[in-house]
Amino acid sequence: MSSRRKLGFPLHRRDVLKGGATLAGAATLPVGWNLDAVAAAGSTLVIAAPATPQSLDCNFDVSLGTFEAIAVLYDNLLEFKKIPDPKQSGAFREDTADHPDLPAGLAIQGKLAESFELDPAGKFIRFQLRQGIKSNWGNELTADDVKWSWDRKFELGAIGAFFLSTLGLEKKDGVKVEGKYTVSINLDNPNPLLAKLQPNLYNPIYDSTKCKQESNSDDPWARKFLENNSAGFGPYRLDQLQRGQQAVFKARDDYYRGKPAMDTVVFREVPTSATRASLLQGGAVDIAQYLQPLEIIKLRGEKGVAVDSVDASFMIWLELNAQIEPFGNAKVRQAMNFAFPQEQVLKTVFQGIASPLNGCMPNIYPGFTNQFWKYKYDPEMAKALLKEAGMSSGFKTSLAYNAGDPVQEPIAILYQTALRDIGVELELRKIPPATFYNAVSERKQPIIFYVDSPWCPDVGYSMTLYFNSKSFVNYSNYKNDDVDALIRDTARTNDQAKRLEMMTTAQGTVMAEAPWVFIAFPGYHFARRANLKGFTYYTSNNIRFQDFSREA
Amino acid sequence: MSNSTISGPAIPAGPEAVTSGVGRFPRLRFFFAFLRLRPSFAVGYAIVTTVVAIALLAPWLAPFGPMDANPSVYLLPPGGSHVLGTDGTGMDIFSRVLFAPRVDLAIAIVGTLLSAIIGGAIGALVGYYEGQRAWRRALSTVVMRSADVLQAFPVFVFAIALVAVFGQSVKSIILAIAFVNAPIYLRLMRVQVLSISKLRYVEAAYVAGASDVAILRRHVIPNAIAPLVAQLSINIGWSVLLTAGLSFVGAGVVAPTPEWGSMIAMGFQNIVTGQWWPSVFPGIALSITVLGFALVGASIEILADPARRRVLSGSLS
Repeated sequence: MSSRRKLGFPLHRRDVLKGGATLAGAATLPVGWNLDAVAAAGSTLVIAAPATPQSLDCNFDVSLGTFEAIAVLYDNLLEFKKIPDPKQSGAFREDTADHPDLPAGLAIQGKLAESFELDPAGKFIRFQLRQGIKSNWGNELTADDVKWSWDRKFELGAIGAFFLSTLGLEKKDGVKVEGKYTVSINLDNPNPLLAKLQPNLYNPIYDSTKCKQESNSDDPWARKFLENNSAGFGPYRLDQLQRGQQAVFKARDDYYRGKPAMDTVVFREVPTSATRASLLQGGAVDIAQYLQPLEIIKLRGEKGVAVDSVDASFMIWLELNAQIEPFGNAKVRQAMNFAFPQEQVLKTVFQGIASPLNGCMPNIYPGFTNQFWKYKYDPEMAKALLKEAGMSSGFKTSLAYNAGDPVQEPIAILYQTALRDIGVELELRKIPPATFYNAVSERKQPIIFYVDSPWCPDVGYSMTLYFNSKSFVNYSNYKNDDVDALIRDTARTNDQAKRLEMMTTAQGTVMAEAPWVFIAFPGYHFARRANLKGFTYYTSNNIRFQDFSREA
Repeated sequence: MSNSTISGPAIPAGPEAVTSGVGRFPRLRFFFAFLRLRPSFAVGYAIVTTVVAIALLAPWLAPFGPMDANPSVYLLPPGGSHVLGTDGTGMDIFSRVLFAPRVDLAIAIVGTLLSAIIGGAIGALVGYYEGQRAWRRALSTVVMRSADVLQAFPVFVFAIALVAVFGQSVKSIILAIAFVNAPIYLRLMRVQVLSISKLRYVEAAYVAGASDVAILRRHVIPNAIAPLVAQLSINIGWSVLLTAGLSFVGAGVVAPTPEWGSMIAMGFQNIVTGQWWPSVFPGIALSITVLGFALVGASIEILADPARRRVLSGSLS
């Protein structure tokens, strides 16, 4: 028997570390935060997140905290129906599957819209809005709000312009107010995404009455106001935003679907994942977001904590820049894939909680296929391909990774070691998180990590994003005329069977030409207190506070 | 104080003994007597000697390649063939801890020497010309106020900014260290030169027709350099810490180069999940090294100060 047992005080080294880490985490909380009080507060939800929202204007900001804020401050016209997650008991997810028997072929339903009518040819969609819905400023939802929301996209461009171009909506007149509660979107050409894009997180409806009140001649679209405030029809209103510290949201009593169970949501910035995990473990927070694989594994065994793991639209890969030699050569790109120790990375870095990225789009979306996957780790094949490419003596290149993503550095190190075996010398470049996205979008790095997910559950949308030579998000500079043509044709037809066929062909070409080094589907892992129920997975990979309730 | 206060053989009385030529290797005997009187300094020298030896002998001492990732043995706890365990990518922590001083010391020593040379040279010129012609006085004022501005910035933040400007590389870190340390040497040298340049032998050299450069090189700088040497050791330890700090925040040495700060950064998140060894061992090595250089610096400070050395000689006699 150890001395600590004799003392009747079973304190173990691990407990000390755990306690210390919790205290360290607690030290990051604002003065006056009573941890016990927080844990006991039944209708208060406390979330430890890597960042608070930077801007609340989703036309311009794509930061992590902003996703969560937009999802609760605003509502969309339509939503996907929810179904129980087939793999994770107690969790739900959007039903994004194809349903040929349902209207629009989708399990989609009205949200702000009471009903909708979709042109079978895909040229228009008409919404009948619910009556009596109030914004957080007390203004009633009307067709004018929908019209103003789309007009704002036309006028301000940025993310809004992406929606317009994706739909092929070229004129403001395309959005027509047909009555106080009736509005339609009309296209010149058929578009299969007309209904699918409506539930998109970044396609919300604004309270135009309030926005117009906050506008002036210098700022006719209320940019300044919407950066720091909300004017929407969502279930929460913003109570406080201290950037870098916390955001506080209050449930709306007059929300048209009933007041959410969680009355107050404290969205606290805790930059270090270890601290977030400790706070959850110690009961100081209800949810810890974006944890490392090891922390997720550890939390799974902790009392009072639960981790929901579901398949997700997230993908992580390496962009091989086709405009920087030698990556213009498909054989070199294939060699880089055969030299990637995917299995080892999944086991050591992801601790087995991710699955192999064996395709070029999310495997949870209709149309995904892994039939073209061939890049199992094979250094001899990699050497042979390099020889065919005339680079048998190898070459020197560099890989840029995000200092803020804890999985990228170990993956880079493992890859660096593996590439030495085929004569490729890989220099690692660590990029600060604040400038990483710039480094990606500049397209000046030979190889760079990228983590992304197409939010619209559509094969054509996904392939367009990453492999259309004109897409801004095609960071590997991949260009194949056949793929471009297939993507273009897929966007012009509403025949889903034909679309799937064309996109299968495109996936085959892309996988053969390997513009990426395929790493993993990391999945979505949601760490929470065990008594918190209602987790739902959305393709935008963010949570929505209104889903949660606490068990007594 | 009598010799009975310290153990061992009779001790020569420092500089006096040196000038009188008592015993063989009188300076060395004085030095060892000094270390016996202040054993903590002996610990400092032992640490520095050991760290330097490890840096030189690392390729022969390390059982594994410092950058060889082996996923089949990731996060092994200390023991067995991996004495200090392995990190998240299966790299041997013992081997990396042994190789790390090569990077840390090289950066710290080169950066600090560079700062001493640049800062010392500017300080000597500023101190020598201060109080002379108007434009030289003005130049001296500009230089000193510029140094004030540089020193007003928090050193670590300033170093991060410099690395960001120059780009992330070993060269940039050396430049950053040189840049942030230079004002220290500038001030030290200026103060020394200000007092020395007014001494008779300097005036005599001037009257004899020696050029300013010759006076500075032969008569002023050699007599003003002692405090800078003392500062060097302290600064090297501090620079090791700064290098590690920069690497820890991601602005220093890029992984997987074996470097203590980078190793701590790679492993610190694992402490909460129970894998403490990837970050704790490099942290211990870093602490010991910095302590060693600080102790050596403190000892040199005493030895380089004639007044304190005289007091010490009295204690040893």
